[in-house]
Amino acid sequence: MSNEVALELKEVTKKYKKTNVISKMDLQIKNGEFLVLLGPSGCGKSTTLRMIAGLEKPSSGQILIDGQDAEKISSMERNLAMVFQDYALYPNMTVYQNLEYALKVHKVKKEERQQRLAKILETLNLTEYQDRLPGELSGGQKQRVALGRGMAKQSKIFLLDEPLSNIDVQLREKARDEIQTLHEENQQTIVYVTHDQLEAMALGDRIAIINDGKIQMIDTPDNIYNHPANLFVAQFVGTPQINILEVDVQTTQLVYAEYPVLTNSARLAKLSVPSGQLYLGIRPEHVVVKCKQESASELPAQVEAVIDYGRYQQLTLKLEEKQVLKAIITNNNFKIGDIVYASLAEDKILLFDHKGKNNLES
Amino acid sequence: MNSRSSKKNKFLTFAYLAPTAIILLVFMIIPIIYTLYLSFFDWNLIAPTKDFVGLENYISIFTDPVNQKVLLNTVFYIVLLLVLNFLIPYFISIVVKFFIGKMQSSYKIIFFIPSLFSLVVGAMLFSWIMNPVSGPIAFFMRQLGVSLPNWTNSGAMAIVVLCLMTNWKVFGYNFVLLLTGLGSVPQNIIDATKMDSIPKWRMIWDIVLPLNKSIAFYVLILTIVQGLQYVFTPISVITQGGPYYGSSNVLYHTYLNAFVLYKTGNASALAVITFLIFLVLLYLEIKFVEGRADRYE
Amino acid sequence: MNKVKGSSWHILLIIICLVLLLPVVFMVSNSFKTLQDSYHSMLQIIPLHPTFSNYSTLGKQVDLLRLIWNTFFMATLVTLGKIVTGLLAAYAFKYFTFKGKKWLYFIFVSTIFVPFTVVMIPNYLVISKANLLNSALGVALPQLCDATGIMLFLKAMDKIPSSLIEAVHIDGIPSYKILKDIVVPILRPSIISIGAIFFINSWNEYVWPTLILKDKSSFTLPLALQNYISSEGGTNFPLAMALSTIMIIVPLLIYLIFQRYILNSISSSGLK
Repeated sequence: MSNEVALELKEVTKKYKKTNVISKMDLQIKNGEFLVLLGPSGCGKSTTLRMIAGLEKPSSGQILIDGQDAEKISSMERNLAMVFQDYALYPNMTVYQNLEYALKVHKVKKEERQQRLAKILETLNLTEYQDRLPGELSGGQKQRVALGRGMAKQSKIFLLDEPLSNIDVQLREKARDEIQTLHEENQQTIVYVTHDQLEAMALGDRIAIINDGKIQMIDTPDNIYNHPANLFVAQFVGTPQINILEVDVQTTQLVYAEYPVLTNSARLAKLSVPSGQLYLGIRPEHVVVKCKQESASELPAQVEAVIDYGRYQQLTLKLEEKQVLKAIITNNNFKIGDIVYASLAEDKILLFDHKGKNNLES
Repeated sequence: MNSRSSKKNKFLTFAYLAPTAIILLVFMIIPIIYTLYLSFFDWNLIAPTKDFVGLENYISIFTDPVNQKVLLNTVFYIVLLLVLNFLIPYFISIVVKFFIGKMQSSYKIIFFIPSLFSLVVGAMLFSWIMNPVSGPIAFFMRQLGVSLPNWTNSGAMAIVVLCLMTNWKVFGYNFVLLLTGLGSVPQNIIDATKMDSIPKWRMIWDIVLPLNKSIAFYVLILTIVQGLQYVFTPISVITQGGPYYGSSNVLYHTYLNAFVLYKTGNASALAVITFLIFLVLLYLEIKFVEGRADRYE
Repeated sequence: MNKVKGSSWHILLIIICLVLLLPVVFMVSNSFKTLQDSYHSMLQIIPLHPTFSNYSTLGKQVDLLRLIWNTFFMATLVTLGKIVTGLLAAYAFKYFTFKGKKWLYFIFVSTIFVPFTVVMIPNYLVISKANLLNSALGVALPQLCDATGIMLFLKAMDKIPSSLIEAVHIDGIPSYKILKDIVVPILRPSIISIGAIFFINSWNEYVWPTLILKDKSSFTLPLALQNYISSEGGTNFPLAMALSTIMIIVPLLIYLIFQRYILNSISSSGLK
């Protein structure tokens, strides 16, 4: 069983000058899994990665690599490769030397080195640049060299620290696809740190959302998006941001202002929520906007802004008392100032308790 | 920009640069040319007339046994200065940067203290410490049953002691410079070598030293250029170049010729030779420490 | 394992500290010893018979106040000169464009590589012709500017965002006012530390002053100390050490107060 787990964090805590950057983190990563650590800047995701890499020591807790305590084995035995955010290429060595250096120091035979590197250079389209110095490369090329240097080691676990954040937007998608292809081919265990949710969604088998040094949720992209564990995850993932309304629980219905947004629902009955207030979350694409009111549950609103993205339009609707609702529509039927009615797709509504801000259904 | 303001700018540029330029012209550029001029004459610094002697002063530098000895001593000085004032501080700065975690700045502060002292004080202190009869070192060695040789009687030994005096003063200064250079190697590159499980000394040799080579070379050149001038003071205070020119170097010998022996022509020729050596060092510095001089292209 | 290694390096480093500092400790302690004690109990750090006699003898033999004043005056002249010329020149190099800038900068910086012997004879002749022998001005005049200073000031100016200077310039503020009201206040820490380095160096200067200052009444501290050292070994060490102790007080105080700035400036002189 334990062989299936490539990497495990047990109650790992990291303190800097008494403040906890990471507090009691538990994490299991399976062999061959692509795990993304996602969170806002300063949330501790890079620190987590650096601790896995052995560049920093946990203040308490344990990191197990292949079932062995990482602190008790040498960096060789850890068998990790890492790609740094700004690549950290050796500036005094050519592309080829950069890839070759670690292998040479660890006395991998010359033929084997040449064989491995030729293949990597080929895969990453770097063959013609192999004699250049890092200073003579573009951002995208540097990023590929950094990737190649990690690949050359053929390590079991591959750590990537925001590898795409320093390259142009146009190239980013291509580089992302490359990383994905590489993972499919080699089936390495990958831990990937990013603050970009699209990147995380596109790449990760699972995503761990980190905030305040804690894992808020760890699951597949689908569950993260559609069944967020708490309000933070719901708000952090998805653009435009999820709409949050404060609603009252009244026996069998949820009421926003005087409008019953969810009535007689089986869901509500199952939840057995106490009366009082709840947070209701609804993603903009699940807000249906109409010209005429068709039922009492629809909220009257005024269109405050329209942003036309071509493929779809984003409406900013003003409800009563400064509450704003964002909606994504595709029919482009509305203009600023229109009075409209917004209905919330009932099965897509998310409910969070008012105090703990946790999803009531997960 | 209109012509009036550009005229005004020209005037300001001139006004700002003038003080430096005038002082450099009067006390640096013209004197260099004048020294070059004097090196072709036989003169005693006072007499109203100078005799033109062509290249004779230069020829005597390379033929006169005393001058030859002094030139050879200078080479010995350079080698010693490089070891004492460059290699050792470099090694120690590497140790402090990569092999100890704490107290880096405490060492920096303490190591720097001797550079606050005048070399005259340094020379005096070391002539006491190294005094072959009554100094502490001699005292210690007597306890061990050996006697400290009288280093003032041997040119080579005197040179070593004189270099140690400057080493005491310069060590901390060069240490601070080199440590700063090492500090400018990006941490993530060092992290990358850790990920690649590169042994520490290998990492230093393959990554840190090549990346730090421009500042190291700068300190190396400075060690020679300043070191040769620094040893002037202890030579002048302690040995006056003795025994029999055994501890003199080209700079002290220039001074001796000029202001003690009143052989101005010889002194000037020696000075010009020194200048040429330093120019070669300057050329090397520009070549290896690229970008320093041409920051205003 | 690593910890053991680290601490053995600390032992080496502490030995270096001792080698560097012991001479200083001996200097101070011997300055309070009698001549006999300094010979018979030279390694005794706390003097057996502490005495101020060396200092009082010194006071009788030389005019200490005069020596200190001479040194202070000369060092102040040199320091002020180098700061003013250095700031002006650095400002011109940093914010003005003009023809031959690269060459001029190159020439300025190259002067670091000029050995003092190559200018010593002509400069001596000029100073003596100008009747400035035995005067602080005669010592200071040739060194009123300093290429290292220009380099250090330029590096300090690199830290001022150029947009700030441009913004003031667009407001039509004349450049001498920019220098006085913006650059100098921002650079104050650098100016103080660079000035401190200049001052300490000048305070300790020996070679050039020996050529210019021949009259004992014009001597600076290093020259006076030299008079107490004889090459034949007849030096009265306690006396010389007392004078050395007096001499180090000022540089040491400056260092203790501005230590962090001074070390930073020296560090920056090595970086590109």
